[in-house]
Amino acid sequence: MADIESSFEFSSSLTSSSLPPPRTRIFKIIVIGDSGVGKTCLTYRFCADKFPDKTEATIGVDFREKVVEIDGEQIKVQLWDTAGQERFRKSMVQHYYRNVHAVVFVYDVTNAASFRSLPAWIEECRQHALGQEVPRILVGNKCDLRHAAQVSTDVAQQFADAHSMPLFETSAKNPYGNEDGSRNNSDHVEAIFMTVAHKLKSQKPLMLSQPPSRPGDIVTLRQEEEDRGLWGCSCWRS
Amino acid sequence: MKKSRSVGASSQLNGFGKQDAESRRKKKTAEIAQALNVTPVDVATLRRMAISEGGLLTDEIRRQVWPRLLNVSVDQIPEELEMIDRDNNKDFNQVLLDVQRSLRRFPPGMPDEQRAGLQEELINIILRVLVKNPQLHYYQGYHDIVVTFLLVLGERLATALVEKLSTHHLRDFMDPTMDNTTHILNYLMPIIERVNPEVYDFMQQAEVGTIFALSWLITWFGHVLSDFRHVVRLYDFFLACHPLMPIYFAAVIVLHREEEVLECECDMAMMHHLLSRIPEDLPYETLISRAGDLFVQFPPSELARGVHQRSQETAVSTFKDFELASTQQRPDVVLRRRRKEQQLQQRTLEAKHGKVTVARPTGATLHEAGGHGSDCGVGCCSVGHGELGS
Ligand SMILES: Nc1nc2c(ncn2[C@@H]2O[C@H](COP(=O)(O)OP(=O)(O)OP(=O)(O)O)[C@@H](O)[C@H]2O)c(=O)[nH]1
Ligand SMILES: [Mg+2]
Repeated sequence: MADIESSFEFSSSLTSSSLPPPRTRIFKIIVIGDSGVGKTCLTYRFCADKFPDKTEATIGVDFREKVVEIDGEQIKVQLWDTAGQERFRKSMVQHYYRNVHAVVFVYDVTNAASFRSLPAWIEECRQHALGQEVPRILVGNKCDLRHAAQVSTDVAQQFADAHSMPLFETSAKNPYGNEDGSRNNSDHVEAIFMTVAHKLKSQKPLMLSQPPSRPGDIVTLRQEEEDRGLWGCSCWRS
Repeated sequence: MKKSRSVGASSQLNGFGKQDAESRRKKKTAEIAQALNVTPVDVATLRRMAISEGGLLTDEIRRQVWPRLLNVSVDQIPEELEMIDRDNNKDFNQVLLDVQRSLRRFPPGMPDEQRAGLQEELINIILRVLVKNPQLHYYQGYHDIVVTFLLVLGERLATALVEKLSTHHLRDFMDPTMDNTTHILNYLMPIIERVNPEVYDFMQQAEVGTIFALSWLITWFGHVLSDFRHVVRLYDFFLACHPLMPIYFAAVIVLHREEEVLECECDMAMMHHLLSRIPEDLPYETLISRAGDLFVQFPPSELARGVHQRSQETAVSTFKDFELASTQQRPDVVLRRRRKEQQLQQRTLEAKHGKVTVARPTGATLHEAGGHGSDCGVGCCSVGHGELGS
């Protein structure tokens, strides 16, 4: 587990060098999808900037965090990496849907069944009473295995449009989109999560929080009625 | 595949003086051999050995004692293992995915080929048990338990023991839903509350939930501990105890980390993260004792009053029968005895080395007030388990 844990990056240079600003906003993003689609790998890629050499089945919920800077503001992006197996969903993961700011649906482009499960995942979100204003994105993972793809971009795009979500196809293994895995291009997985973070930031006074001096001190201000539906639909393709 | 039998690491007594440890180890080995040789086998003693310091010491011994603890007669296990039709198996894909990702469970130096062979066996054991027991449902993490049995026992013996374990201790985790598992997790906070209300309050305020302990519970810590010796040591303990013991052990780990918890930001994410990682250097023997103490002090029946009641049909409610059939003796008796032994040992040690031991928050009061340390027979131990569902 050691290298997975090192992905917990919140105390990186950004925060350790100086006192944290009075208010660090926290963006809480839940990542869901079938077992094996690569949720752990994607979140690890974003937080630790690499592909984990060994992942294990996620049992329950894992948590990863990264501090990013957007327009000069430091923001904590919290990723909740959930278990894919159906039996864990209902009673177990429930607790972690609370106060979620965004949802990332993941399927595996080489596994049609994981794509067919998406309506069930969307339904689960609905049952957890996530409001329409909560941004959702769709990520097709494992694009490095193009030759084995079972889900075409067109079909996925139609689905995404029907559900008013932007679609991103990417690879946790090779997010640079180069055949040889070289790093000439920018990291696509990072860009996806940053897009979500930007979107959340643009929703303005989303959630003001700081390490509370007293528990229960968190000020939550939510702007419910901002733009709904499609947003930032410039989809990358790797 | 005979080789696979010795891949598990053997445990060392992490005791006090080296010589002391060595002589105690010898004594214990002899006692175990003795208990195995009498007719009928002295399961009560074996149980006590599995719980007491150092547990069952070696995988060699475990191969002989674990079947006894689970009441599996080794000579009745068929020589030939059933073949499994993987293609038409509803669980195969998930099991394969999980087993393929279980590389960390195998000893680091093991050649790839050998590991791949064991992974095949692991898949076979799991599918065999599931096919034979359609009422059991696979969960992610089950493979972490099965791999431990495989590494210690080899495929044939592991199949038999895992099947028994799955229909008893693990039964609740293998229901169609996780409702009973949630129910068992609900014991965690009440235990913490009894021992340390401050930690309890703080965790409640953070709304951390109990999912951080889910993988601990349903894998018997196999998923989260990287040192295989610690895993098998805990399995000795859990195999000798009530099915709810892992949740007591989970509570003990949280309580052991009291300071860290109280210093943590009072926030769900931070606390979930802190708690879900288990430190490498836990004092396992002390924690095992402590879990045993808490079990005696706050038995499930007592906690159940505070825990939302669910199904009557849990492993806990049927444990009594299984337990009595297999041993004629209840684990809480053994736990009490262990407690007494430890206290004695502790005293001798303190006398010898003039050491000051750190007082444990409730241990002393338990001993003085409860009179649990006295050597009561089976009859007076009705506070134990079994009442939960009845
Ligand atoms: N080729 C390729 N393999 C990947 C990629 N992402 C993940 N994988 C592999 O897919 C398998 C599953 O990845 P995980 O990240 O563990 O999947 P998960 O969605 O977290 O699964 P659960 O925890 O069971 O829900 C692993 O063997 C990964 O190595 C990718 O982008 N490309
Ligand atoms: Mg995962």
